[in-house]
Amino acid sequence: MNTNLKISNVTKIYPGCVANDNVSLEFNSGKIYALLGENGAGKSTLVKILSGVIMPDEGKIYLNENNLKLNSPLDAKKNDIGMVFQHFNLFETLSVFENLIIDSDEQREGLREKIDSIMRKYNFSIDLDIPVLNLSAGQKQKVEIIRCLIRSPKVLIMDEPTSVLTEQETNELFLSLKKFSEEGILIIYITHKLKEVMELCDEVAVMRRGKLVSVSEIKNENIESLANKMVGQNLKTIKKKKEKTSSDQLINITNLNFISEDPFETNLNDINFSVNRGECLGIAGISGNGQSELFQVLSGEIISDKNSIEFNKNYIGDLNPQERREYLMAFSPEDRLEQAAIPQMAIFENVALNNFKSSNFFNNGLINENKIKEHSKKIISDFNVNTDNIELKSQFLSGGNLQKLIIGRELITSPDLLICFNPTWGLDVGAINYIHETLIKINEQNKSIILISTDTDELLKLSDKISVIHKGKLSKIMEADEVTSEKLGILMGGGN
Amino acid sequence: MIIDINFVGLIIASIMASAVPLILASCGELITERSGVLNLGVEGMMIIGAISGFALMTVTGSLIIAVFGAMLAGVLISTIFAFLTQTLITNHVATGLALTIFGIGISAMIGKNFVGIPGKEFPVLFESLKDTIPLLSPILFGHSIVFYFAFALPFITSYFLKKTKIGLIVRAVGDSPESASNQGINVKLVRYACILYGGAMCGLAGAYLSMIYTPQWIENMTGGRGWIALALVVFSTWNPIKILIGAMIFGGLTIIQFHMQAIGVRIPVQFLTALPYVVTIIVLVVISRDSRKIRLSTPSSLGKSFYKDN
Repeated sequence: MNTNLKISNVTKIYPGCVANDNVSLEFNSGKIYALLGENGAGKSTLVKILSGVIMPDEGKIYLNENNLKLNSPLDAKKNDIGMVFQHFNLFETLSVFENLIIDSDEQREGLREKIDSIMRKYNFSIDLDIPVLNLSAGQKQKVEIIRCLIRSPKVLIMDEPTSVLTEQETNELFLSLKKFSEEGILIIYITHKLKEVMELCDEVAVMRRGKLVSVSEIKNENIESLANKMVGQNLKTIKKKKEKTSSDQLINITNLNFISEDPFETNLNDINFSVNRGECLGIAGISGNGQSELFQVLSGEIISDKNSIEFNKNYIGDLNPQERREYLMAFSPEDRLEQAAIPQMAIFENVALNNFKSSNFFNNGLINENKIKEHSKKIISDFNVNTDNIELKSQFLSGGNLQKLIIGRELITSPDLLICFNPTWGLDVGAINYIHETLIKINEQNKSIILISTDTDELLKLSDKISVIHKGKLSKIMEADEVTSEKLGILMGGGN
Repeated sequence: MIIDINFVGLIIASIMASAVPLILASCGELITERSGVLNLGVEGMMIIGAISGFALMTVTGSLIIAVFGAMLAGVLISTIFAFLTQTLITNHVATGLALTIFGIGISAMIGKNFVGIPGKEFPVLFESLKDTIPLLSPILFGHSIVFYFAFALPFITSYFLKKTKIGLIVRAVGDSPESASNQGINVKLVRYACILYGGAMCGLAGAYLSMIYTPQWIENMTGGRGWIALALVVFSTWNPIKILIGAMIFGGLTIIQFHMQAIGVRIPVQFLTALPYVVTIIVLVVISRDSRKIRLSTPSSLGKSFYKDN
């Protein structure tokens, strides 16, 4: 059965911004469509309209010639439109199964069987009875996908589904998506990742600043042409100059262990590595293999044995993040809105949170607001954050701008070592390019980076040395020019 | 010294009776809070229930009308709270405090004409079995229907939250109203229902006080029990069974310290009166230490207003 989805002259205006400007698009089942655009281009608004979360000011949606009235997400569901959001719509304290049964009309046992068969079919493995807050980002994503599949949708909209997946997982997902497409589900795939568009999709619609820029078939496009349409200008490709790095050791980790009391966290098992000045060590791995624990141990969120971390000839394993900052370490955690910044606070207040002794942000217990604001303005201009209002609440910054702010906040103290965890997840090409350039620049200034990332391409591009973490254990450290993404993939899966 | 075993049974029964209003109000408030709404108006809703129950009993003479009328009064006053916090998006804390002050004031006004009027006897169940088993009989038999209901309620509440679909929806709304709304759940409707249910249980708790526990109307007769009920919900970490334990400890110490005062134990009275509050909180904190369980049972959106943007 064919499915035809038509968006006709949709306009949505927010105060101060036209999110969708008279957008018309048509989709037919049997093909996979990409909706491409930078953050803030209006893709999210458009898919929120399609999934009934928000209503358009003007315009109509037709599914198989029927005019749909999508006043709520329930209407979208009833009309067989399934949606996997980029920001998970999960209930953290409920179990996986409870999350799935909540919007299903089926009985417990029947649903369990159905979920099991979906998981078998697409090779997902998730414990249904643990709370969602114990899942990794990648697993949460899968729960979202399963939630849609349960309802056998006619249309499946995927909003940045691979931002948390590894290369293998992504490949598996693509196979599944192609299978859905063959089974007659109309797939709309929202992304900023051009490579994925080329690999997966049949047709691509590009949006920029709320307007539809172009609709074309993939076979007539290439990565450069799409990138230029998306950004509206020519992007330069960046590449790291491989130089001989110094042999001056900056950080040395010896016999680092972490045993968690929480059965759903990963234990770290005898971690040993060292990073020299001016070097970038990449740590690859499938999400949920101990990366977040490793980041926390390195940043001091989890305190470990004093002697296990030697930084700049000081033993700092028992220091907290604030104290480690004084030794010129800096951190950029994975979850920008939950760990790195406080969404309800203004930009300059978030900057002040990362206070360090020499900053003079606070005088005798009083906030030195002028100093902080001056400092924030410097970060915003030095790191290309696209706003001039430092009193803006940080939740209103796009992912890319927020990440630039966070990296900027960390780097303005010129630390010797930056530890970052998935610094570009969910960002668009422009922002990713900028972050990558910045990280390369850090290395050029003879500062070091530990880059924990699930994005293999990113690791191969930026690292001098690479190691893989699997089930809390680190593989041997390899020179980056000697590894391939295939080899990393094998190690990430636990092979040799 | 010989202790009459039936006397011990009677003391336990009186402890349980004093725990009844706490259990009812706490279990009602627990449902409200699990949906993410913090209603600090428990004391006010209880006192409204107390005066409504007593007044209706005196005027109509019907106990059934009085009990259900008291619950309805609780529902009505909580509707004000629900309208303000859910429809007009006012602050939960401020609105709840106002509700308590309002409830105490209006109950005193209505209650003027009912001071000094004797209450009616409330029928008890299983009276004939009262002397059959030593120790257990006074505990198990010869109580009002509200008493039995109160002791079943924590288990019903626990079952409701864990095993039923509606219970799951309530927890989901309390966890993340945004996600719930995106899943097509009517967050406002769920929260309205939970607030109104909480009001009904607080009304019943109040009616128990003025119609069964001490059958008369005295101004401000709830005497802070609403605040204790609120504390029980929090310190039990939103667990109905722990509410039962907490309410029993509180009721028990209240009764025992009365007896200690009567016997003339040489401990300052102020210390004895403070004892139930301190011990209940310490015990509940100790039995709810597991930080992981706390995270799982705490409604993440508690006290936060939810509004949908379009």
